Amino acid sequence: MVRKKGRINVFIDMTPMVDVIMLLLTFFMMTTQFRIPETADVTLPTSNSEFKLPESDVMTVFVTKEGLLFLKTDDRTRMLLTNRSTDPVEQESFRKLEEGLEMQDQNQLADLTIRARVLNPKLRTVVKGDRDTPYGKFEDVMSTLQRVKITRFALVTEMERG
Amino acid sequence: MAGVDLGGGGKSHKKGAKKHKTKRRISVRIDMTPMVDVIMLLLTFFMLTTVFSSPQTMEINIPPENETKVEVAETKLLTLRVIADGTIYYNKGVEMPKLLPSQDLQNFLVESVKNEPGLICLLRVHRDGKYEMMVNIMDEINLAGITRFSLAPFTDADERVIQKAKRSA
Repeated sequence: MVRKKGRINVFIDMTPMVDVIMLLLTFFMMTTQFRIPETADVTLPTSNSEFKLPESDVMTVFVTKEGLLFLKTDDRTRMLLTNRSTDPVEQESFRKLEEGLEMQDQNQLADLTIRARVLNPKLRTVVKGDRDTPYGKFEDVMSTLQRVKITRFALVTEMERG
Repeated sequence: MAGVDLGGGGKSHKKGAKKHKTKRRISVRIDMTPMVDVIMLLLTFFMLTTVFSSPQTMEINIPPENETKVEVAETKLLTLRVIADGTIYYNKGVEMPKLLPSQDLQNFLVESVKNEPGLICLLRVHRDGKYEMMVNIMDEINLAGITRFSLAPFTDADERVIQKAKRSA
């Protein structure tokens, strides 16, 4: 259709731009995972290691600056553990892993990691330690893990910049 | 701004409807400007807040508790001791520990492994030392390509050796 003469319609078609923006927005919205406030405030040390943190079947031991210990698992693992468990007391403590369960002592840590690994043998252990944690606290965790025969674990670090 | 012209272009319309259209031409134009504005805001928000972070991990293998003693040659053993204030001391075999400035650590490890390919590194960190120190040193060890290394507790004997080294220095 021919428009009327004299009427200059300056009309920029923004549709392609909007399309691209929409795509970008969708991408960012889909990929963003809002970081849940962490169980424990941990500032990670940096390293040049290139192994990525696995996303599932992970059990995380937090070691804070003050030397407090927390145990946490991802949602899927927690569900799996809770479903497989038959002991109500055990189920209860697994359920608490969602928020990160504070360990009273090394024995509790040892006990829970054993139970978790019995129910899910694929479970991998990672240790998230604060960079200012006294090494002794970490050493204790390490010897506990050694005691429960977790001889392979990973330390979570941040990418070293610069 | 952006808009959707509905009923404007006649190309896709049926020929029969053409005449009818010209009579009363209702241009249904939805103004998309506010929507685009909001989308832009959202996009900016997501782009600025997104951090593409996937934490790195460092694998550690520790020997099972019933450890078997392994004999190693004295010359192949490099002991790194980290005392409470973060100072690093090194010694090869059974010699006296020497101070190692932390900025020299990387070069030192690279040199040592070059001179002694089968080098075994033993890391002893004091209980009051920082966890970060251990991670950093382990990282340097990995970077230097030292494949055999182990962690050992910092004992009183180590403390005495360090004291002695300090006095003689």
